[in-house]
Amino acid sequence: MLVQTLEIFLIAITAGVFGSMLGLGGGIIIVPVLTLLFNVPMQTAVAASTVSIIATSTGAAVAFLQDRLTNTRVAIWLEMGTSTGALSGALIAGYLEQRFLYILFGLLLAYSGYNMFKTRKNELPEGVLPDRLSQKLQLQGSYTDRQLGKKIDYQVTGTIPGLIVMYFSGIAAGLLGIGAGIFKVPAMDQIMRIPFKASTATSNFMIGVTAASGAVVYFARGDVKPMIAGPVVLGVLLGAILGAILMVRLKSSTIRKLFIPIIIYTAFEMIYRGLK
Amino acid sequence: MSTHEPDIHPASPHEPIEITLARLLRIGSFIAAVLIAAGIGTMLLGKEAAATRLITAGLLALLATPIMRVIAAGLIFIREKDWRFACFCLVVICSLAAGIYLGQTHG
Repeated sequence: MLVQTLEIFLIAITAGVFGSMLGLGGGIIIVPVLTLLFNVPMQTAVAASTVSIIATSTGAAVAFLQDRLTNTRVAIWLEMGTSTGALSGALIAGYLEQRFLYILFGLLLAYSGYNMFKTRKNELPEGVLPDRLSQKLQLQGSYTDRQLGKKIDYQVTGTIPGLIVMYFSGIAAGLLGIGAGIFKVPAMDQIMRIPFKASTATSNFMIGVTAASGAVVYFARGDVKPMIAGPVVLGVLLGAILGAILMVRLKSSTIRKLFIPIIIYTAFEMIYRGLK
Repeated sequence: MSTHEPDIHPASPHEPIEITLARLLRIGSFIAAVLIAAGIGTMLLGKEAAATRLITAGLLALLATPIMRVIAAGLIFIREKDWRFACFCLVVICSLAAGIYLGQTHG
């Protein structure tokens, strides 16, 4: 029991470090580890993972907010898409063929993985012209990049397309229980042209909110098992704080390179799930 | 054009929203971490019932944090008379509430 708790705790720290750096929930680490290595039932693992998304988001957000890496205005604008999307997903669940959705979202991820690979050497987006709505909502941002040692001012574009993609990412989260951050980061990076570090930090900030509504439901159903979720959450929280401290000191292009294999893996896994 | 602006967002008599939200998140995660760590400690002492209660309290504190964060952001926007963003927060809060309600009735 003690050894198992300690092992879960250590793996959770790792998940927290990567999750916070990449703006992901870390479910792709937590769920398979708990089910395959520790024989935890799927429902319990998913519930623990959902609660741990909040831990990743909250733990890392403190450091990111203080460095102004998180763009709170962009986050709140896009949260409208993710939260209404998650709601629609929950409403239409059962009316749609899940296999088809897995393949569709898998292909979408493969495409954004390919785009991300093409731009892997770009440190910061260049020549971004803000659209009118972005100017009106004052979505532009500014942060101090510790790695480059200078203040980065950036503009945001694709305000409406970004919101639409977030709506669909919310549907994916509501329907398939996946995609905490894996859709959000590429949308902010490729459509809204936000610097990669600001994209992962803002994604990180947003994922906690969507996860919270799911977690409340799991709690009410009794799927959250304190003896499993407790060590997971504590580890992820600690890992997320460490990951955030590490992330602000890394180059955007390095973080992007870490993101690419994960997006490709997730794309293939989803297509496989749709086909099998 | 953006390089000459002294600050991105117009000056406000209050502290920036990021700092307020960061403080809220720090308090929330600190309370959660302390309760969960105390729970795991109690579990190691063999008091399972007390441990479960402590960990559950910690998890609930963690769960409440992002919801409080949206509400706090909404209140800050109202204070700054930024009605547009206050409405955006309201949309988020309503869909979260509806999601929780639906999840519990259909789950």
